[in-house]
Amino acid sequence: MISTFLKHELKAFWRSKNTGKNIAVRIVMAVLILYLLLNVVVIGFFMDTVLKKVFPHDGLILSFCGIILFYFLAELFSRLQLQELPTLRVQPYLQLPIKRNTIVGYLALTALFSVFNLWPIVLFFPFIFKVILHDAGLVTALAFIVSILGITILNNYLALYIKRKANLNGWIFLITAAAMILIGMSDFMWHIISIRNISYLFFGHLITYPVLALVPVLLGVGMYFLNFAYLKQNLYLEELSTKKDKYKSSTEYPVLSYFGSTGDLVANEIKLVLRNKRPRSALIMSLFFLLYGLFFYPNPAMRNNEAFKIFVGMFMTGIFIINYGQFMFSWQASHFDGLMVSKVNFADFLRGKYLLFTASSTLAFLLTIPYVYFGWRVLLIHFIMYLWNMGVTVNIVLYFANRNAKRIDLSKGASFNWEGVGATQLMLSFLLLLPPLIIYIPFKYFGYTDLGLAVIGVIGLTGTLTRGFWIKFLEADFYKRKFTILEGFRNK
Amino acid sequence: MIQIKELKKVYSGVIVVNIPQLEIKKGESVGLVGNNGAGKTTLFRMILDLIRPEAGEVLSNNEPVAGHEHWKNYTASYLDEGFLIDYLTPEEYFYFIGGLHRQTRAHVDDFLAGYADFFNGEILKRGKYIRDLSKGNQTKVGIASCMLQNPELLMLDEPFANIDPTTQFRLKNMIKEANRTGVTTLISSHDLNHITDVCDRILLMEKGKIIKDIATSSSTLAELEAYFAIGDAFEQPASAELKIDPEENH
Repeated sequence: MISTFLKHELKAFWRSKNTGKNIAVRIVMAVLILYLLLNVVVIGFFMDTVLKKVFPHDGLILSFCGIILFYFLAELFSRLQLQELPTLRVQPYLQLPIKRNTIVGYLALTALFSVFNLWPIVLFFPFIFKVILHDAGLVTALAFIVSILGITILNNYLALYIKRKANLNGWIFLITAAAMILIGMSDFMWHIISIRNISYLFFGHLITYPVLALVPVLLGVGMYFLNFAYLKQNLYLEELSTKKDKYKSSTEYPVLSYFGSTGDLVANEIKLVLRNKRPRSALIMSLFFLLYGLFFYPNPAMRNNEAFKIFVGMFMTGIFIINYGQFMFSWQASHFDGLMVSKVNFADFLRGKYLLFTASSTLAFLLTIPYVYFGWRVLLIHFIMYLWNMGVTVNIVLYFANRNAKRIDLSKGASFNWEGVGATQLMLSFLLLLPPLIIYIPFKYFGYTDLGLAVIGVIGLTGTLTRGFWIKFLEADFYKRKFTILEGFRNK
Repeated sequence: MIQIKELKKVYSGVIVVNIPQLEIKKGESVGLVGNNGAGKTTLFRMILDLIRPEAGEVLSNNEPVAGHEHWKNYTASYLDEGFLIDYLTPEEYFYFIGGLHRQTRAHVDDFLAGYADFFNGEILKRGKYIRDLSKGNQTKVGIASCMLQNPELLMLDEPFANIDPTTQFRLKNMIKEANRTGVTTLISSHDLNHITDVCDRILLMEKGKIIKDIATSSSTLAELEAYFAIGDAFEQPASAELKIDPEENH
C-alpha cells in the first residue's frame, strides 16, 4: 500500500501544472544540500581538531558531550523553518477499504526521509568512531550512537508536530519560536542556564551508564506515536472544525471604500486572508519574521555589516509580499472563473494587489521602527528596503503570479494537503533577496556604501512612481497567459 | 446578441466543440441539451472567454468576446460554484457584485428583499459563509447574483440540477419573466420538461456539434425524448444516465 501511495504522489508531482518550476527548485535545492553536506562531512571528520581549538582547556570527550544538545536545539530551530511536511491528499482514500492506520502510517513514516536526519549522523558519527570507540570502548560508543539517533527521531517528529499544529494555528509557531529565542538568550546573553552543562549532564553520564541511551529512543518513539495519533484524529477534524456553529457576521472596511472598486477587491482579499487557515498562518508567519532583526542586530559583527541590514530590512518589510505573494493568484483559484466573467477590470484587480502590498509593507515598516535602538542607520536602511519592496519586489512577485497556474483549494485546507512554509518556499524568497545585494556589494567593495544604498532607494522609488506602466505591462502579460492560468485553476 | 463563427475546440485530439455557424438573437430564450461530454459547458466557457478556442470566434453585440471586456457589462452567468467567492457571506458577495455595477447597498438590499421567497430563509442573515451553504443554496446565491446584475444576456449551466422542486418552479418563472422583459437567456439542462417549458428554441448538441435547432412546439418534448431514449445510429441508449452528470460534481 505504501508503495502505491508513493506512486500516486510521484504521479501527482509529474503531472502537476507546475512540474517545470518544481523540478528547477528541487535541482537547486539538491545542489545546495550537497554543498552543505560536504561541509558537514568535513567538520564531522575533523571534529576532534575543531573541538581542541575551540575548547583548549577541556577534555575532548567532555567538550563533545557539551555541544550535542546545543546542536540539536539549533537543528530543531532550523527544522521548524525549513523541513517540509510530507503530504498526501487523503480524501480519495478515506472511503476505500484502506485502513486508516495505513494512511496515517504512510504520512508518519515518510517524514523520516528528510535530509535533516542525515546531518547528525554525518556530523557526530566520525568522532564517535575515531575518539569514543578508541577511548571509552564499544558499549559507550554504541550508547552514543543510539542516543543520537533517538534524539534525531525525537527532533524530527517534534518539529513536524509543532509545524502541523502551527499550520492550523499560526500563534503556536510564534510562541515556540519565542520560547526557543528565550532559551538561547538565557544562555548567551543572561547566562542563567548553560545548555552545555545540561548536555554534559546527560551525555557525561552516558559514559558511566550506557543504559541511559534508551531514554532518547523512548522519547523519540513516544513523539512518533503522538504524531500518529494526532494525524489519525485529524482525519476527522475537517468536518468538526468547519461545521462549528459560530455565527459568521458580515464585515466592512470603511477606509477601503475611498478606493472604489479596487478597495472592494482589497476588502475581499483581506477577508480571504483572515477567514482561511492557510493564508492566515502566512500572515502570522510574517509577524514571526519581524523578529529576524533580533537574531542579527545584537551581534556586533553583523550589526556593522550593512549587507545584513539590507537582507534583514528587506525580509522584515517585505515578508508578507514574499510569503503571500508567491502563491498569487492561486489563493483565488477557486473563484477565478467568477472573477474573470464579472465586471472586474484586470487593471483594478492588479491595483488591488498593489494596495494590499503597500498597506502590509507600510505596516511592517512601522512595526520595525523600534529597531532604531540599534542605530539610526538601521531605520534608514529599513526605509530604503521598504521603497525597494514597494517598487521592485511587488512587480517581480506579480510577474511570477502570471506564471503560476497551481490551484490552491482554501476550503479544503487540512493539515494533510498543504506543506506550510518549508525550504522550497524560503528558497524562492531568497532569490528575491539577491538583487539588492548584487547592486550593493560592488559599491561596498569600492567603499561607496552610501551611494549603493542610494541607488537601491532610487530604483525602488522609480519602480513605485512608474506603477502605472507596470500595471499595463502585467495586464498585457496576463492576457497572454490567461487561459493557461484558468485551466490550471480549474484543474483540481 | 451572440454570433458564433467556425468555432472549434480540441482536447487531446478529440473535437469537443465544432459549431460552424450559430446566431442567437436579442430576446431569444435558448435551451441547450445533450448528453455528458456533448460540449455544452465548453461552449459556455468559450462564450465567456474562459477557454481559448482552437479556431473561430464568438461575437457578442457584434464585438469579439476574446480579449475584450465590453460584454461583462451586460452578461451575467453562473456555471458552477467556481463563480462564487466562497469565504464571503452571501450578503457580502451580493454587495460586492452590486458594487461592481455601481449599485448602492440600499439598492442591493431592496433587490434581495424581493428574493425572500426564493431564498426560503436559508441564505440571508444565517451567519454562514458561502462555502458552508449546501450546493443547492450556493446555486441560489449564484442565480440571484446574476439577476442582481440586470443582465441583457443571462447564461446558466444546469441551474435546475441541485435545487429543490419548489425552487425549480420559481426559477422557471423567473427566467420566463426575464425573457418577457427582453433578456436573452441561454440555459443548459438535462431536464427536458423544464427546458422545453422555459425555452422558445432548443439546441441539441452531440459530440460537439449542434445536430438539431428546433423552435419549441407542442411536439418538441416528444421529439427530444425520442432522441434520448433510442439514440441515433452512433449512440448507445443513454436515458438511464441522464440524471447523473459528473459535470455537476466538480
